[in-house]
Amino acid sequence: MKIFIRITVFVAFVLSLAFTAQAAEIKIGVTEALTGPVAKYGVPIKNGFVLAADEINAAGGIKGNKIVLVIEDEQAKKEEAINVFKKFIFQDKVLAIFGPTLSNSAFASDPIANKEKIVVFGTSNTAEGITDIGPYVFRNSVAEADILPIVTKVATKKLGLKKVAIIYGNDDSMTKSTYEIFLRSIKAEKLEVVDTETFAKGDIDFSAQLTKIKSLNPDAVFCGALVEEASNIILQARKLGIPNKIRFIGGNGFNSAKLIEIGGAAAEGSISGSPWFLDDPSKINQTFVKAYTKKYGMAPDQFAAQAYDALYIMAEGIKAISLSGNVEKDRTTLRDALAKVKNFKGVGGLFSFNESRDAEQKGRVLYIKNGKFAIYAE
Amino acid sequence: MFLQQFANALVLGSVYALFALGFTLIFGVLEVITLAHGAVFMIGAFAGLAVVTKFNAGLIPAILVGMMASGILGWLIDLLAIRPLRKRKFHHLAPMIATIGCATFVISISQGVFGAEIYRFPFDFMPATSYNFWAMQLTLLQIIIVGVALALMLIIIFLLNRTKWGKAVRAVAETPRTAALLGIPVERVFQLTSFSASALGGAAGVLTGINFNAIHTFMGGPIMHRGIAVIILGGMGDIRGAVVGGLILGFAEIMSVAYLSSDFRDAISFGLLFIILLVRPAGIFGSNIERKG
Amino acid sequence: MTEFLMSFWQTYNTLFYTVLVHGMLALSIYITLACGQLSLGNAAFMGIGAYTAALFTLKLNAPFGLSLLAGGMLPAFVALIIGVPTLRLSGVYLAMATLGFGEVVRVVFLNMSITGGSVGLNGVPPKTELWHLLLVMGVLIYFFLKLKNSRFGRALEAIREDEVAAAVMGIKTTSFKVWAFVIGAFIAGVAGGLNAHFTFFLSPREYGFDFAVDILTFAILGGTGTFWGPLVGSTILTILPEMLRFLGSYRLALNGLILVLVVVYLPNGIITVKKKD
Repeated sequence: MKIFIRITVFVAFVLSLAFTAQAAEIKIGVTEALTGPVAKYGVPIKNGFVLAADEINAAGGIKGNKIVLVIEDEQAKKEEAINVFKKFIFQDKVLAIFGPTLSNSAFASDPIANKEKIVVFGTSNTAEGITDIGPYVFRNSVAEADILPIVTKVATKKLGLKKVAIIYGNDDSMTKSTYEIFLRSIKAEKLEVVDTETFAKGDIDFSAQLTKIKSLNPDAVFCGALVEEASNIILQARKLGIPNKIRFIGGNGFNSAKLIEIGGAAAEGSISGSPWFLDDPSKINQTFVKAYTKKYGMAPDQFAAQAYDALYIMAEGIKAISLSGNVEKDRTTLRDALAKVKNFKGVGGLFSFNESRDAEQKGRVLYIKNGKFAIYAE
Repeated sequence: MFLQQFANALVLGSVYALFALGFTLIFGVLEVITLAHGAVFMIGAFAGLAVVTKFNAGLIPAILVGMMASGILGWLIDLLAIRPLRKRKFHHLAPMIATIGCATFVISISQGVFGAEIYRFPFDFMPATSYNFWAMQLTLLQIIIVGVALALMLIIIFLLNRTKWGKAVRAVAETPRTAALLGIPVERVFQLTSFSASALGGAAGVLTGINFNAIHTFMGGPIMHRGIAVIILGGMGDIRGAVVGGLILGFAEIMSVAYLSSDFRDAISFGLLFIILLVRPAGIFGSNIERKG
Repeated sequence: MTEFLMSFWQTYNTLFYTVLVHGMLALSIYITLACGQLSLGNAAFMGIGAYTAALFTLKLNAPFGLSLLAGGMLPAFVALIIGVPTLRLSGVYLAMATLGFGEVVRVVFLNMSITGGSVGLNGVPPKTELWHLLLVMGVLIYFFLKLKNSRFGRALEAIREDEVAAAVMGIKTTSFKVWAFVIGAFIAGVAGGLNAHFTFFLSPREYGFDFAVDILTFAILGGTGTFWGPLVGSTILTILPEMLRFLGSYRLALNGLILVLVVVYLPNGIITVKKKD
């Protein structure tokens, strides 16, 4: 048995080598959580990349060179992310890497890319400190730190908020960071926090937290949650008798058509902020939404939109360099070119990298009106 | 507020109890902790959802189809992964590991079929209006969940104690060898138990899916984690224990959020279970010598 | 050829490191299984060790050896404290209690500021070298080889076969069980410390229920008759998902199927020993 398995391992490795020995295309590695509980974010991200790559290739590629995406699953596990990064760098010899899905995995795998001098571009890593890993780490993830203070300000003014409650997922770095930003901006607006509640990933029952919130009678509820929990929180709040006039205000996680699909009328009026939103009438966005919905049979969410833009941003960088055929050399020239991308026009509006290679993008305050996302205030 | 939290706890506890009923039944008879029960639960929810969205079915048909689908899956898992192990002397944890493999397989295939997203039952499927009892607000569905959990417990206890088949099941649970000598078709009892316990899991899946609006391929994970706690707390294999254990966990979770801190909810509730176990090492209804069906 | 080997090693060295770490974890649960105890606390012990070792390195700038030692000692100490009351329980009840313990540990990590809460601990310097792992593994193999014919090892076996009889024979069953538990926690802690220093990052989520069950699976799949079993089991289960990458999104389905087939055809594990009855 032992020997049999060793032989199988060896054969499989040799096969994987044989399959990767191709050349003359622009190879880009994409690693996201495609299986496991995080796949609901990882799959739309992958879809966004594939759609953008298909479009670019159909339009003749980048200066005639086709983009080839090498896609690998990382299951949102740090060891897997590291393994895939190494495979991309040493075996597939890709030019640049997109991913991984969670900040947690990025903290484990990005140092490897940085050390090997290859661009790693995150589209969904929101945690603080990701780009501090090194000069090869880029991201276009929504900068909640920029937009959520504006959301808080606008909501406070328009709704006349005085006392608020907070509920957030405390075992997830994404929702925890939403909470921390909200807390700072709530303090800046001098609002009173009457109650702070937490939940854990995978929870389905929020009745205890919401009953407590209801009894304290806040003017609004700030919510650090991803869409599956967020929509359920809002639904259960309404069932417990928290009226629709008490708005739910959220971050990144609210910006998904699923919030409306699952939350329905309960979600009406919920406020969030983002550069991109599904019902943005701009032509570039409508073309994207139509193409995406046609290809995948569902509407894109924020994660898909950011991945879609990210590949075009990467293409801008690649356009600016001339490929030498020496992949190590091309990787470093690409880094410098990518850092210079300015005023790129994508589905999320104008995009530039700032000096720490984070997103510089104007956010908009959104709310749900008649079952659609609409602009609450520019 | 206390009354509302009490109602919340009752509903959540009943959900845990519903899940734990089948889970504990399998253990009681087959002596296997089937870690595929979460996957079975998920398949039930998806099957219920499918008949509702495709054929506009009502609550009862949705539950029945969910039970059927889960029952068949449970029977297949027994047939392919547990039964071959019954015949031989094996490490007592081997069947549990086999069910982990089954769960991985079922979940992976389901993700391929249904995708990774979340689904819900249609909005008008169940009335969303809440009823007021004193200071408690409950929806019709929540009342149904509490009722079904208690009713199922009573029905199973009745079946086990009063019917011929029930007695056969209890005999097999006691000692399969003696039961075989008495002429009881042991193998069929095992298969029937796998089917019906999994069907119970399917019913739990459909009801949970309707109430909590979060049907996805991984929905079985967190509840299974708690289900294990519940059946061990109640006493492995004990039907009353599953319901009482479920309610205790539900109350522990809700009350720790309501009166202590939601940050430490899981630590408090699991810490409490830990302490209960130290006081009653074989669970609330369990005893090491005799096991009740 | 050398170029091939170079790139092969560059690509798969982390995988190989992980194989060794998982091997240590499998051994850490093997020693409790060797006296018939089913503990699901080893993922939590690994977590305590990983955080302790990483914090020693990050905050105190301690030498790597000291960090690792601390990463082993703290979980061992915790095991000693919780071991005495919990080991009164047996079978699944012990499993449940250790599972509850794991949950408490996870929540504590989440709510402490020094551990970084849910954001985790980032920027752990990569200090683990291949020889560290091989050395620790070598020591462990030596320990388990010696264990077999030692008084301690025979006592554990006696307890596994029949605890009551062992007690009647004058074996101090509780103290042996606690020792096995403590040693297992120590091994898991050191494995956690080693893992933390080649993956740059830790978060509480990694040490939860799922991983506790994974560790148990390593041991049972490989076979618990001898310590080679858990080592083989962990190696196979660690390499398998990487080998099946070519299947794309269905690789986990095949992974599950293989697990079922192995258990059904080799229910006592891949490595079995003939019993001298």
